[in-house]
Amino acid sequence: MTMQADVAPMHDAGNALVGSNAAWSAGESGRSPETGSPILEVSRVSKSFGGIAALVDVDFDLRAGEVHALVGENGAGKSTLMKILAGVHVDYDGVIRLAGAQVRFAGVQDAERAGVAIIHQELDLVPELSAADNIFLGREPLIAGTIVDRRRIVRAAEALLRRLGIAIDPQSRVADLRVGEQQLVEIAKALSLDARILMMDEPTSALSTSECETLFKVVRQLAAAGVAIIFTSHRIDEVVALANRVTVLRDGRRVLTAPIEGLSSNAIISAMVGRTLVSTHREPVAVEGGPVLSVRNLALDMVGPRGWRRVLHGVSFDLRRGEILGIGGLLGSGRTEILESIFGAARGWRTGEIAIDGEPVAIGSPAEACRLGVALVTEDRKARGLLLASTVRDNMALPSVGALSRFGVRGFAREAALAEDMVERLSVRCNDVDQIVSTLSGGNQQKVVIGKWLATEPRVLLLDEPTRGIDVGAKQEIYQLVFQLAAHGLGIVTVSSEMPELLLLSDRVLVMCEGRQTAILSRAEATQEAIMRLAAPGLSERTAGAAG
Amino acid sequence: MNPRRLFSRTKLYWGLALICLIGALASPHTSSGANIFLSYQNLTDVLRQVSVTGLVATGMTIVILLGGIDLSVGSVMGCSSVICAMLLTKSGWTPAAIMGAPAATISIALAVGFLAQFVFNGLERGRDVDAGRRREIVLGPWRGYRIPVLLGLAAGAAVAAYVVSQVPAKFGVFAVLLVTPCFALALGAINGALIVQGGLQPFIATLAMMVSALGIGRLTGGQDFAVIPVYTGTNATEAFEVLRSMVWGLIPMPSIFFLVTIVLFGAILRFTTFGRYVYAIGGNVEAAKLSGVKVKQVQFAAYVISGLLAGVAGVLFVAQYRQGKPDAGAGLELDAIAAVVIGGTSLMGGRGGLAGTFVGVLIFGLLSDILQLQNIDSNVQLLMKGLIIVGTVLVQEQNLGQLLARWRGVPLAPQPALPGSVEAARPPNAAKASTVREDIHEKT
Repeated sequence: MTMQADVAPMHDAGNALVGSNAAWSAGESGRSPETGSPILEVSRVSKSFGGIAALVDVDFDLRAGEVHALVGENGAGKSTLMKILAGVHVDYDGVIRLAGAQVRFAGVQDAERAGVAIIHQELDLVPELSAADNIFLGREPLIAGTIVDRRRIVRAAEALLRRLGIAIDPQSRVADLRVGEQQLVEIAKALSLDARILMMDEPTSALSTSECETLFKVVRQLAAAGVAIIFTSHRIDEVVALANRVTVLRDGRRVLTAPIEGLSSNAIISAMVGRTLVSTHREPVAVEGGPVLSVRNLALDMVGPRGWRRVLHGVSFDLRRGEILGIGGLLGSGRTEILESIFGAARGWRTGEIAIDGEPVAIGSPAEACRLGVALVTEDRKARGLLLASTVRDNMALPSVGALSRFGVRGFAREAALAEDMVERLSVRCNDVDQIVSTLSGGNQQKVVIGKWLATEPRVLLLDEPTRGIDVGAKQEIYQLVFQLAAHGLGIVTVSSEMPELLLLSDRVLVMCEGRQTAILSRAEATQEAIMRLAAPGLSERTAGAAG
Repeated sequence: MNPRRLFSRTKLYWGLALICLIGALASPHTSSGANIFLSYQNLTDVLRQVSVTGLVATGMTIVILLGGIDLSVGSVMGCSSVICAMLLTKSGWTPAAIMGAPAATISIALAVGFLAQFVFNGLERGRDVDAGRRREIVLGPWRGYRIPVLLGLAAGAAVAAYVVSQVPAKFGVFAVLLVTPCFALALGAINGALIVQGGLQPFIATLAMMVSALGIGRLTGGQDFAVIPVYTGTNATEAFEVLRSMVWGLIPMPSIFFLVTIVLFGAILRFTTFGRYVYAIGGNVEAAKLSGVKVKQVQFAAYVISGLLAGVAGVLFVAQYRQGKPDAGAGLELDAIAAVVIGGTSLMGGRGGLAGTFVGVLIFGLLSDILQLQNIDSNVQLLMKGLIIVGTVLVQEQNLGQLLARWRGVPLAPQPALPGSVEAARPPNAAKASTVREDIHEKT
């Protein structure tokens, strides 16, 4: 109870707006943080999206005053679980009990009223408003019911921030704050809502080490005051350092819930991985000849909210004909940026050398990349890959329209022949080539995107999450297609968040961690554990030396 | 296609027919009992009156199709009318000649140069189009830049010589038709450069040009007389009359310009790669860019075309109203946008076309004609225009469907940006299912 002594004086600055019955000012709420009785119980919760199970019979419990880490690979169901608890997803199977009473939130506001708040990874702050205004957004105290009482907002925010021990001027514009400070403003906002349960999705993903320390201090302080905290993180060292208990999800199922004491980071990692994918095995293709694509010291600087930021540091690799190079790593580790840099589509300042078939090239735009025989299948096919309102034919032909034209006049017959040829070769299931592409299923849309690039007869194919959002059967077809293309001599680079997919597809795996290339693993070396270890920040520094 | 779909696809034309019908029924008759509205004279007059708006709306359609907007066309048209009137009525190096001559020289030189390169590229590539789809670039003898550059310079020199020879006397019809649109084209190119290279939003860049072009027009015309009268035969060449005459006694000359332009650009949008790219950029600029479309070039070209057509409209304005004045095009840009929107082109880009714009322009023209024949106050006309804009856009299928659905209380699936009209086969939950499915793959 030593922390409570620190917490109690904070209440002096109390204000009618906040803390009137704030659970986290535990001094007077009478609830002891050490009771250990679950404040939140989740039993047998399942959730599926369009036939794909995201959560299967998950049990979970949370005690007041504990910090509970939720870990798992991309797609393991962490976000889904959090979103159910926060009232974002309202249709699920199973039971949620809050302080012993069964609840079913009708929406986010409902959950907030019950004292459950979530801080999303992409912060929900209005950049142009001040920190204080953001904290009380939508709940502004009014003078005579009409005019916003700005002085009261500032005073209340000041009190709130002081209690959290955060040195932020409540009148500063959120856009001027660092990401870490913005995160703290979000926490203050959540607490001003009397949150008893605070969920944080990847709170540290954008923070520097010192900012992390501040955040951890605040989190520990809150926990000591009785707030229950759930957080997700990809950094296992962080989990070990901060959490009291950890729950590991894999493929939507709970694999492990245990106190952090006695758990090593390796034990957590091996609980996270171990997903298997039933699939045909690919005979390794004999790769021959010089590299079709070679990349040396590729670096990329992008303009962020706080000036230039280096997102890629010296990436180098060679890709031979018929080879599939996988790029592994966490989201935001620079995987997509590698592909976009090669394709000339990255927004930012790029340095480094790229050679295609041994010839140095300067690719400044996607148009040049197309001309040189480089193709990119983007991650988000709806927003960046397809003209959704156009036909299969128009989408298939788009990159080739110029090549199929004569004196700028389109070759309609040639375009149709190309589209029909591709539909047949990739067995795209559609009524005819004049079908609107948005009416196709995800897998078939993806085939259209791949097809439109194959029609340009590329030498290098860059795939970014080629099976994202498509069902299992279609995934298998895409894998077979990728293998066939490699067998025909295409050099393929593929990014995937799904570990088994990465291992299945790749001849070699390049692992990225925070914009740096930590290793290129051969097929024999590449295991889920090895990749995860190299990809996880904090751990990779320790192991990078060993991996070379 | 079932009759209902056919009807809904063509309802714009039915609307046009309806307006014609109303016009014919409500029309006053001459003493001999002939229907004035349906008289050849009246209908060709309508066609003549819509020509200026129509030309501008044609350029506007292309700009809007690729997701932009051009607010400057009215001012550019007004400015062009001043330049045109000045060239016709004043000799020597007037401000109009000083600005127009270099603009024409540079524009023509670049146009010829690029055209030559385009043709040579086509010649060089034409043979292997069928052989392989992959555009293997072989640096052939034609592909050098030397010949196009030389041709461009030659054309520029010829134009410069011709224009300079016109300066001491007053300009002839051909010279005016050459110089004025080139001047407007240069203004359009400034728009395009600001948007493409400067990264300005089209609305802002063209708003700035709208204001500036009005200023340029006033400065060129001189402070004292904002209106420059053109009296063919007295202060200008008699030959200029040809631009307001009837061709073979059948069609007014301005209408020929309008019809040829709309057919030409309709064909360009339909049959050329440029047209395909315009629609692709309007549909999804990111996807187009990542498919290797040279987005910037296409956008630039669209604003240049819009400027060019505003310039031609300026010349026709002078021919029709016998004067050039800087604010000739006040409100013209909004008329043009209205015509484009009535024609079913989406302001979001990517959907619509010139056929619709043609009908939209005609609907406006016929409407004001009918009201004039009835001697109805011109302010009522404005009100009617507003109602027609709202009415036609409401009737466009997807909007109507949404309204009806709301009235019936049917919840709509979240609508992505696609035309609801054509996807009859779309399963009702497809959009929802696919967006949700991607949730799983978000970071957990």
